[in-house]
This record gives sequence, structure tokens and C-alpha cells, in this order.
Amino acid sequence: MKKMKWIGIMGCVAAALLGGCSKSKPVLHVYNWADYIKPELVEQFEAQEQCRVVIDTFDSNESMYAKLKAGATGYDVIFPSSYMAKIMNDQDMLLPINPAALPNLKNLDPAYLDLAMDRAMAYSVPYMLSITGIGYLTDRLPDFEASWTMFNDPAVKGACTLLNDMRETIGAGLKARGYSLNSTSEAELAEARDQVIEWKRNIAKFENEQYKNGLASEEFILVHGYSGDILQVQEENENIDFAIPREGTSITFDDMVIPRDARNVALAHKFINYLHDPEVAAENTEYISYLCPNKASYAYLSEETRENPILFPPEEVVANLEVVADLGEENAKYTKVWDQIKAAE
Amino acid sequence: MKTSRRRRYTEWLVTLPSLAWLVVLFVLPTLIVFAIAFKPANPYGGIGAGWTWSTLASLGNPNYPAIIWRTLWISTTTTVLCLLLGIPMAYFMAQLPPRRRQVFLLLVIIPFWTSFLVRIFAWKVLLHPDGLIKQALVALHLVDADASLLYNAGAVLLVMVYTYLPFAVLPIYAAAEKFEFALIEAARDLGASSWKAFRSIFLPGIRRGILTAFLMVFIPALGAYVIPDIVGGPHSEMIGNKIAQRTFVDRNLPHASALSVILTLAVLAPLTAGMLMQRKKDRHAVLHQEGL
Repeated sequence: MKKMKWIGIMGCVAAALLGGCSKSKPVLHVYNWADYIKPELVEQFEAQEQCRVVIDTFDSNESMYAKLKAGATGYDVIFPSSYMAKIMNDQDMLLPINPAALPNLKNLDPAYLDLAMDRAMAYSVPYMLSITGIGYLTDRLPDFEASWTMFNDPAVKGACTLLNDMRETIGAGLKARGYSLNSTSEAELAEARDQVIEWKRNIAKFENEQYKNGLASEEFILVHGYSGDILQVQEENENIDFAIPREGTSITFDDMVIPRDARNVALAHKFINYLHDPEVAAENTEYISYLCPNKASYAYLSEETRENPILFPPEEVVANLEVVADLGEENAKYTKVWDQIKAAE
Repeated sequence: MKTSRRRRYTEWLVTLPSLAWLVVLFVLPTLIVFAIAFKPANPYGGIGAGWTWSTLASLGNPNYPAIIWRTLWISTTTTVLCLLLGIPMAYFMAQLPPRRRQVFLLLVIIPFWTSFLVRIFAWKVLLHPDGLIKQALVALHLVDADASLLYNAGAVLLVMVYTYLPFAVLPIYAAAEKFEFALIEAARDLGASSWKAFRSIFLPGIRRGILTAFLMVFIPALGAYVIPDIVGGPHSEMIGNKIAQRTFVDRNLPHASALSVILTLAVLAPLTAGMLMQRKKDRHAVLHQEGL
């Protein structure tokens, strides 16, 4: 009986909550990576536009794309990496961006825009930049070197992770051997494969998400991961640091796009424009520790952030960064190598 | 004759909803998956036109046997361990007075109140290098301080047994509850040892329950994907993980379908064989009874 009463009360609460929210406020459906936007900024946008923002998250471009291809609809703004934005555009899945609705586009940093795939911002607007590199525990690895060779180090045996991402991890293998991470040469890929298999014998697992918590809780000593993720957990554990491997690595643009079946196109444009407001962009960068390539926002960043060599790397480091490109048919070569890596003992 | 026909008719009518459910939500999707396995893929995740054998032929790829073998041994071992733990538990529970029986039943069911995913993450905390279990084992000098309890096939097996154990206990318990324990007493009176009575009277008596438990554990274990993904390491990938990779990362639905076909056949083949054998046995028993 008591139980029934509780169920009744919970039902009422749920009904009140749902009822309260659905009072004909416009809803913006966002599909984003986890921990990739400052929640207070979303609330501020909701108050400003008298709307409700619903955020779904994905953990890889591929899973997001597969879900859309399988028929998931109803999103208004999606945050794919630029190579995936290009595929989506090629597949006619995106609406063109209307520059007239986005006055804040003038704030974008032209230096980074040069690296982007969609320089004209015809179908995508850059959101954040991330550099893939190595996170590690400074106190456990006194002899750390900013190099991919660290993954061979017996000191990290069974306590390091590589990304469970075909392009990033094979890309690291290619970079470690001095090749482009978009290489389609079979011989180079074979070398990269052998390199990654060598690392595989030393790692605890291939991991895309949990490596941050693993590093923060000192379960892992060395992880292959994204700059912002590592900087985020640095606040939980002071011993964490991030390094950009000297052999070079990948830089990723995560873009904002509007899918073809978006229901609230005007609100989607407002959201994109809002995130490129200099003060908002600066606040977001400070919070999620990725760099929003919005030049006007740099002035609002704290000095500490502006001097952070990971967010603002020196030119010689930037020269070694490469953007992952979609390879179309050639992707099959990476799939084959990835299968061999996964099957290797 | 007429009544039996009418009975047949009502039987059909009664099973129609579940039959429709099965056809729409199981048979049709499975057939679609089978069909996609014979379609060519395009690099953008679409399914090409025409038909091809090449996807199925590519399953001869030398990278697969290791994964298939690992999937089979992990699922089989999980099933055997679940049965070995489940049978004594059910034997014990079925003999308790009704009130205490309810308590034990509740204890078996309680884990379902928490999300499956949360329980797997709880194991990650328990097996963490600074976690309770690891610290205790190190203190007892049972494991090396540097050894990792996570990210290996053993961890996958442990969490699989933990997850699927209730699925083994419940059907065996349901069978044991109906078992007439006086039969065991009778066997003992006739001079059988307690082990012999357990083996020759109890186990055959709950045969159906054991078979159900076997299927309830073995089939989901074959398709396991989340557990090896979270607690498994670079050497504990199972077919489920490969199917996920083909679907999401490689954008190759025909390949994912071909692997699913293998998985479905791996489940259906022993099941059909078992059913045929059972039918033969039943017919034999009928003939026997009729004195033929």
C-alpha cells in the first residue's frame, strides 16, 4: 500500500515536471559530444530565447552518423568533426548555413579557418578545436618525453590506453613513423599497423571515453586522448599533464551543422550565433578547455588560458598538426589494418 | 472430430497475437538482416544495388577465427559456471520454508532494480587498482601489486557470470519448486547415496529448467557487447564488438549483417538439433508405452 502511494506521488511529480516544461515553448534539439558545452550557457540561452534546449550526446562521429543514417531525426544542431560534416554534406544531409542570420561569424579566427575544410562556412561553422595527444601522470613518469614512443615504455605496461578510434590510433602509428596521418600507401599503413600492434601489447585497453576518469583516478598512467578532456580532469588531479607528441598528431575541428530535417532552423541559427558571441565563446572555452577559434573571444580569456601552450600552441607545433580527412573508398584500407590490429595477439 | 477442430481453431486464435509479435519483431527483421548480408556496401554506410557473395566469402578472413573462438569459449564457460552455481542455489532455495524462500528469491532479483550498466561500472570500481578487492588480494599476497584485475578475459568472464547468473537461477528454481522432494527421500530409502539421488533423480527431474537456463544464458552471452567493451582489454574482443565496429566505425551494414547471420546460425543450429532429438525421444517413449 505504502509503495502504491509512493508510485502515485512520483507519477504526479513527473506529470507536473513534464507538463510545466511542455507549455508550447519552442524546443531546440542538440546532438553533441558529452561535456562539450558549459551548462550555464545553455540555461542562459533558454532564458534569452524563451525556449527549451534538449541535448543528446554521442561518443564518436561514426556512431552519430550511423544513427542518423538508420533514421534518427528531429535534431536541429549537430556537432560533428569537420571530416564527418563534409561526408554529411556530400550525402545531402545538411541545410546550407545562412550567413545573414549569423552576424558573429566575423569573429572567427582566420588563421584557423584556413585549416578548415569548409572555409566558406557554406554548411558548417567551426565550434571548437581539439588536439589529440598524450595525457599522463607527472609524478609516476619522471622520464616522460613528448613522443609516441612512450606507449612502448615498460613503465606504463598494462596502465595505458589508446583511443578506440581507427583513424586516430592508426594515425598515431603513421605519425610515429614519420608519415601523413591521411596516408593511403599500403606500405606505410603496414608499418603503422606493426607499430600499433607493438603498442597494443603494452596497453590496458582501447578506450574513447573512460580514459579521463581512469587517468584522474590513477588507474591509467598514460592515455591517448583529446586535449580538452585531459585539461578538464586536470582540475581533479594536479599530477595530470598533457603533451603534444613531437612527431606530430591530429588537430580536429568540431563544427556546428544544421541537418536537413531540422524542425527549428531559425532557432538553430540563433544558437550557433550565440555560441560565437565573444563573451560566450570565451566562457565556454574556459569551462570545457577546448579552444573556440573565435578571435574576438581571446580578449575575454584569463591570462592563464591565453598562455596555455595546449590551447595556443607555438607555431612550430602547429606546423606538425594535420587534419583528419575523409578518404572515401580508401577508408577500406584503414578498416583492414584496424581488423589486423584488433586480431593480433 | 468437430470439437477437436474447434479447439484447434481457438488455439490458433489465442496464439495469434504472440505469433504476430514474433513474425513482425523477430522473423522479419532477421530475414532482412540475412538479405542485407548478400548486398554490396557503399563507403557512406548505404546498401548498394544488386546481390553479392563477396561479403560472406570475406568471412574466411584470417582475423575472424580468433574472435569466434574467443566468443565461443567465453560464452560456454559463462554458461557452465552459471549452471554450476545456479543448480545448487535452486536446490537449496526450493527446500526452504515458503517465507524464507521469498526472501532468497528477492535477493536474486534485487540486482535488476539497478541499471545493468551501473552494475558493470560498479565492478570497475571494485576491481580498480585502488579498489577493495584488489587491495585485499594484494594484502593476502594472492596477486602482484602491479597486476591488473581489469581489462582481460578473466574480468569479462567474471562480470558475465555475475550478470547472467539470475537468468540461470530463476528457471532452474521454477523447475525445482515443482520437483517432488519426497522422490529423493525414496531414493535414499532404497539405498542411493545422496549424490546419486541428486544426480539420478533431482537433475533429470529439473531437466527442462536446466535447458531453459542454458538457453537464457548462452544466447545473450554469445551476443555480449557491452561487458567486453567496458571491462575487457585489447585481447578480449567478442563477435558483438566486431558487429558494432562494422556498423558504426566501418559503416558497413552488409558485413555487420553477415556476422549477425553467423551468430544467429550458431544459436539456431544447436537449438534445432536439441529440439529434433527431444522429438525423437518423445516419439520413442510413446512407442515404448504402447508396447511397440
